Amino acid sequence: MKTYETTIIFDPGLEEARINEEVDRVSQSISQAGGEVVEVQRWGKRKLAYNIRKRRDGTYIHIKHKSPPELIGEMDRRFRLNEGVLRHLTVLAVKESPRAEEPGRAAEPAAAAAAGAAHATQSEEKV
Amino acid sequence: MAREGESRSFRRKFCKLCFDKVERIDYKDDRRLTRFITDRGKIVPRRISGTCARHQSQITEAVKRARILALLPFTSEQYR
Repeated sequence: MKTYETTIIFDPGLEEARINEEVDRVSQSISQAGGEVVEVQRWGKRKLAYNIRKRRDGTYIHIKHKSPPELIGEMDRRFRLNEGVLRHLTVLAVKESPRAEEPGRAAEPAAAAAAGAAHATQSEEKV
Repeated sequence: MAREGESRSFRRKFCKLCFDKVERIDYKDDRRLTRFITDRGKIVPRRISGTCARHQSQITEAVKRARILALLPFTSEQYR
């Protein structure tokens, strides 16, 4: 199962509760399909670079999730049908390289090195 | 006919993204992406910005995605 990033722009007119309801519905559909929600970001109301459906602002929700491929098509269909969704975009997530913080990078090599070492010792025993 | 124009202003350009060792351009990072689009909203060509091929292709993909999400404009009007 691959990791995806889905971004949704909701109509600014919808109140907070209604949007939370929509987000929960999406998260549930992900877990029901055997996927896993990694992270949900709420960017809140932002000014759009251009008007979408006569609206100047939109409430942004960003969901990083691991899901089966068939779910993506289904989610797309649902978003199209949903009046409250001004726009949505699902993208294959790329391994997030740490932009600002460096420690993330320091941790990775250590882990990789450990794994490498373990692997090496195993193969030696086999020989 | 004038020839001396372009050679005079040429100075070594370098890829700003390699400079601060950015590994992956993120389509959500609109603050950084705005540095690579003109005031009309167009993507700055490599020969002007001096970015390397690897980063330029990441930039174009990221800018196009950001435009879909209305983080960046497709075109910004200038009032004549």
